[in-house]
Amino acid sequence: MISVMNSQGSAQKAGTLLLLVVSNLLFCQNVHPLPICPSGDCKMSLQDMFDRLVMLSHYIHSLSSEIFIEFDQRYAQGRGFIAKAINGCHTSSLPTPEDKEQAQQIPPEVLLKLVISLLHAWNDPLYQLVTEVGGIHEAPDGMVSRAKEIEAQIKQLLEGIQKIIGQVHPGANENEIYSVWAQLPSLQAADEESRLFAFYNLLHCLRRDSHKVDNYLKILKCRIVYQNNC
Amino acid sequence: VASTIAFILLLCLNISFLNGQSPPGKPEILKCRSPDKETFTCWWKPGTDGGLPTNYSLTYVREGDENTYECPDYKTSGPNSCFFSKKYTSIWKIYIITVNATNQMGTTASEPLYVDVTYIVEPEPPRNLSLEVKWPKDRKPYLLIRWSPPNITDLRSGWFTMEYEIRLKSEETDEWEIHFAGQQTQFKIFSLYPGQKYFVQTRCKPDHGYWSRWGQESAIDIPNDFTMKDTTVWIFVAVLSAVICLIMVWAVALKGYSMMTCIFPPVPGPKIKGFDTHLLEKGKSEELLSALGCQDFPPTSDCEDLLVEFLEVDDNEDEQLMPSHSKEYPGQGVKPTHLDPDSDSGHGSYDSHSLLSEKCEEPQAYPPTFHIPEIIEKPENPEENITPIQDPQSNIPYFHADVSKSSTWPLLPGQHMPRSPYHSIADVCKLAGAPVDAVASFLDKAGKNALKSSKAFETGKEEKVAKQEMESLHSKTKEETSWPLLQEKASFIYAKPLDYVEIHKVNKDGVLSLLPKQKENCDQVEKPRASETSKEYAKVSGVTDNNILVLVPESQVQNMALFEESAKKAPSPLEQNQSEKDLASFAGTSSNCRLQLGRLDYLDPTCFMHSFH
Repeated sequence: MISVMNSQGSAQKAGTLLLLVVSNLLFCQNVHPLPICPSGDCKMSLQDMFDRLVMLSHYIHSLSSEIFIEFDQRYAQGRGFIAKAINGCHTSSLPTPEDKEQAQQIPPEVLLKLVISLLHAWNDPLYQLVTEVGGIHEAPDGMVSRAKEIEAQIKQLLEGIQKIIGQVHPGANENEIYSVWAQLPSLQAADEESRLFAFYNLLHCLRRDSHKVDNYLKILKCRIVYQNNC
Repeated sequence: VASTIAFILLLCLNISFLNGQSPPGKPEILKCRSPDKETFTCWWKPGTDGGLPTNYSLTYVREGDENTYECPDYKTSGPNSCFFSKKYTSIWKIYIITVNATNQMGTTASEPLYVDVTYIVEPEPPRNLSLEVKWPKDRKPYLLIRWSPPNITDLRSGWFTMEYEIRLKSEETDEWEIHFAGQQTQFKIFSLYPGQKYFVQTRCKPDHGYWSRWGQESAIDIPNDFTMKDTTVWIFVAVLSAVICLIMVWAVALKGYSMMTCIFPPVPGPKIKGFDTHLLEKGKSEELLSALGCQDFPPTSDCEDLLVEFLEVDDNEDEQLMPSHSKEYPGQGVKPTHLDPDSDSGHGSYDSHSLLSEKCEEPQAYPPTFHIPEIIEKPENPEENITPIQDPQSNIPYFHADVSKSSTWPLLPGQHMPRSPYHSIADVCKLAGAPVDAVASFLDKAGKNALKSSKAFETGKEEKVAKQEMESLHSKTKEETSWPLLQEKASFIYAKPLDYVEIHKVNKDGVLSLLPKQKENCDQVEKPRASETSKEYAKVSGVTDNNILVLVPESQVQNMALFEESAKKAPSPLEQNQSEKDLASFAGTSSNCRLQLGRLDYLDPTCFMHSFH
């Protein structure tokens, strides 16, 4: 009698335990944040990701162009700033491809890394731009808001690129090239001419680098997602 | 010497001017454009040539390279142009371009142009524009426009991203309709006018750059086969339905109400058979209630009939005889002076007069709620020992007919009220065996005492009187009991037959105990039955509103047959056995005093009060 009871009790216990284990397994399955990508399966999500990245980079460059053109028309007419802006970008030390052939020859992950370096190189200057733009006499309102928007969008872009790198070339997180921006004193110069030129230079370089990022990502998208058949 | 030299120089200049030769004018660089972001071309405008053949050259310096280079190709892009092939083109770099005009006399350089190929992209217009009218099933036809991107741009690798725009106009209009097409190379137009000729053009632009010029125009004729018949049919249907609606509205307007009743029949209201609500509105309650089969409700006789006098026999301080306030009772002297007919005294008194008037005005159902249990529970005088009546609702309220009306007597001050009705009846019962004159004397005393202060009705005194009377009563036959006839209102007893009370016993104290006659068939005529010797039956002739029970020994009923009115509810008039004279006088006066209320007879106690006296 007692043994029967015991066997019944143990059977119940085992059943409950099994139920718990199974339910835990089921729950654990749903906890996975991102689907692991076997080859071919993730194309769809990669396409969506690239579409989003391209959209972001396009938007960032549009904002940068708008800032620069506005500043150029307002403060830089007849001052010959463009002549002085040659070789003035702090990111020129980065080995970025300068034409299509070079861009096509670089491996995708290297290009992605370069993009990341470019974007990182602009964290500090953008912050300083927003901070110091108050020193400009009658600075246009759109400049500050656009600069802040660019800052935010670059952050999102970086996150997205990191995700893609994790999928396309996992485990490649070394050898990031840094470039230093040392033009803060120029932004804070006492002389208005120097100050204005410092801003002009910064905005000019921002426009260029954002175009680079946009172009690189579009190339990568067509190469990775559409196999060069956009 | 110096003046000589100056003169010679001026002479030379004049000679050259006379020849018309001068160094070339300053050329001007017009623009530089790149169609594909991989090559670019610059165009300049030459200045004056100075009368001499002038050569132009273009030189440039590129960002990141200090050397000066000359234009690699002057031919490809036409005269006064410089074409930079892929080899010589770098983007994201600034080119400083200068054009030099040289002639025999000198060289003149243009203003330098700072150009970044990134921002000077302007593509060629799209190619292969094709137009086609499509006719899908069950849908309207549309115009499909298709085109191809310009030849040289590299879209496949993603290096170049293109956006398109189309514009169209019909032959008659002058304005173009522009549509943005995004990055797709086709477009559908749905809003077309059949039978017209349309012209379509497209152009394109890079993601960051300039719009191309409009491409070659294409034309198409839209066939005139758009089903006009559909429109005609719909118009016809609309007109027909409008006509039908008008006809219906007209018919409804004409028929109007009858149609509404046909569609929405009126909902019948509730109706009681035999019940006419209009009578109720008019206030003719007797007709109304007669239809319902209700008898004698409310009492429809004159209100004044209800204002009967009665006396309350009181045995202790709680009770006192209170004459009713009737108009026939102007001044017997028993009227309590303090009584206020219309207001409520502190004792919670209730004015029978006012009550009666109320009753006459409002023919409402009398709440036959007799709070007899309430009375029964009251602590009783042990002498009274009157057993309670079992079923107060169904029987005639023996003791307390009108409790619901808060039937409290207007008492003299100091009197304890609530027990009065009960006790009054008890007192009445006590007097059951008393001789008439004794009763009369008692009543007289009670009446007189009522006038006095309340102390006159001390329990002890009354009891003493009662005891005396009870003893005397006891000695006589019960049948000789004379009862004061007390009027009562028949209002309580409507539709109820008279009940019989059985005198259970009379104890040594002379207290009469009464029992309801159980199985009595109330509908029986009060035919005097042969009373059993063992038991005495007293018949309740009625109960006044002051809760005085009129009891009549049944054996006396025969003698009082002349007072009986109907089989059902024959009132039992006062019987006076002992004093025939009184009886006769009573009989004489009773006819005068008799009041009829429905089927019950009432005798005005005033009448035989006088007779008693």
